[in-house]
Amino acid sequence: MRIVACTEGSFGKLEPFSLEMIAAARGAGVAGDEVVAFFAGQELEPAIANLGAADRLVAASAGNAELIAAESYARLLRDTVAAEEPDLVLVPYSANGLDVAGDLAARTGWPLVSYVNEIRRDGDRLTVVAQVYGGKILAECSVPLPAILMVNPGAFAEAERRSVDPSKLQHSDATAVVAEGKVRLVGVDVPSYDSVDLTTAERIVCVGRGIGDEASIDIARGLADILGAEIAGSRPVVDSGWLPKVRQVGKSGQKVKPKLYLALGVSGAPEHLEGMSKSDLIIAVNTDPKAPIFNVAHFGATCDLFDLVANLSERLQAASGR
Amino acid sequence: MKILVVLRMIPDSAGELELTSDGRGIDREWLDFQLNDFDDHALEEAILLKEAVGATVVAVAIGEGSNRVLQMAVARGADEAVALEAEGDGIIESRAIASSIVALARSKAADLVLCGVQSTEDLFGQLVPYAGTLLGWPHVSGSSRLGIEGSALRVTQERGGGIAATYEIALPAVIGVQTASKAPRYVSGSKLREASKTAIGKAPSEPAGFERSAEIVALRLPGQRGTGENLGDNPENVAERLASILAAKGFAGV
Repeated sequence: MRIVACTEGSFGKLEPFSLEMIAAARGAGVAGDEVVAFFAGQELEPAIANLGAADRLVAASAGNAELIAAESYARLLRDTVAAEEPDLVLVPYSANGLDVAGDLAARTGWPLVSYVNEIRRDGDRLTVVAQVYGGKILAECSVPLPAILMVNPGAFAEAERRSVDPSKLQHSDATAVVAEGKVRLVGVDVPSYDSVDLTTAERIVCVGRGIGDEASIDIARGLADILGAEIAGSRPVVDSGWLPKVRQVGKSGQKVKPKLYLALGVSGAPEHLEGMSKSDLIIAVNTDPKAPIFNVAHFGATCDLFDLVANLSERLQAASGR
Repeated sequence: MKILVVLRMIPDSAGELELTSDGRGIDREWLDFQLNDFDDHALEEAILLKEAVGATVVAVAIGEGSNRVLQMAVARGADEAVALEAEGDGIIESRAIASSIVALARSKAADLVLCGVQSTEDLFGQLVPYAGTLLGWPHVSGSSRLGIEGSALRVTQERGGGIAATYEIALPAVIGVQTASKAPRYVSGSKLREASKTAIGKAPSEPAGFERSAEIVALRLPGQRGTGENLGDNPENVAERLASILAAKGFAGV
């Protein structure tokens, strides 16, 4: 079996989930299978320096595009799939992957399963486990080959970082492909951390949808102040405009690893867990006992968060006043 | 400009989800169905574009409660409402409905198809790349801002880590909205009552057109992976325990 593992990187850095795709491919296969890493981006160095755990690397340098559009990435991947004729293509669940996986599935007609956490060989098929309903249910699926899987970041351990042997590198210049694209990159915004950088915060109090409304965020902010913590929000809270984007934790926000992460009214969708599950101490409060946040929490409570915050703030203040 | 916006009705994931006796589906009997959150943002973005540059907005809904949500869409500013027939009453697979959306985009002569970037049921792939590819139109998933510059569409896409890329795309195109440029608006009861008189069109479902697909063998509830301690549901007890845990770990009294 031949497996193409898609990898990504930009601004001189390889996305860590790229190494997870290599590991997932190794785990899905059997001895003698071939794992081909695919990379497309402006600079190839991060891929060449790190993806040596794959048997080969097919890399396309995307000329001047500092961030390659999914349209161009998908086109280059299609060319690679046509040439390599793999049995399985692994695409990371990322902003890029969301456009790339379905594009390939629509053009090849191959089956696609998204949000995959586990991959097992089952004769000439695969059995995979994927997350649905915001991680509240797991779906075991049977997948005929060839197939495409969109794999959750964090589901597999990273493959070892080592450099690619020059004899195993196949490099092409994709400047023309990027220039032909209908999706033209006109700007990249990198967030300014002048006010706050959650990735370096040691303590974070994060509010989720359960906080209810904008005014209630002040209640959580009060507790954050007492704890010396930064206030943060999950995607629905930031989307509602209750907190600025730089304070968003999760897939499309910041990936954080504080010493203390207190989650108030956060359900813990897979996209949120991706951004905080490696925190040292996770305390979660949510009235839904089946909320997936409890799967990563060290301490969980199902009481009303407002009653708790009021009571806890009082206790902490009294303690610090002594 | 004509905008087709797709509204999918999905089970409320915040509620209790129970499996059917064969273990292959979720019990839909007592479920609450609601508009997919990302689709709600797609609808808002469609209305914002209409207000900014002028457009006709066709809202297409699929799933339980479609008529109700279509009336809401009209009350918010959609010009036309179409209920798309669903195959069976199970999961709304984006892979399966893509061909129906493509047929509607063509028959309505849409320049822009907007839908939510994902739904909680799009296990077998997302609607945006399927519809975009089948139409032969460019597609971008995960937008947080849309605008028209001259004759081109400007899309800001969330790339993770807070990085946002802005693209310019000639129409027609398919865009998967993650967040509307402004939070979805509320509508008054009087507007809703007014909209309830709107005629709702019907569209048949088209065959999916894919020969081979993955299939669900079994659904299951995730086991409790964490070894976390449950502090219970009494706020006073929880606060007392947390205060001592935080103090013990050096987080209190700082």
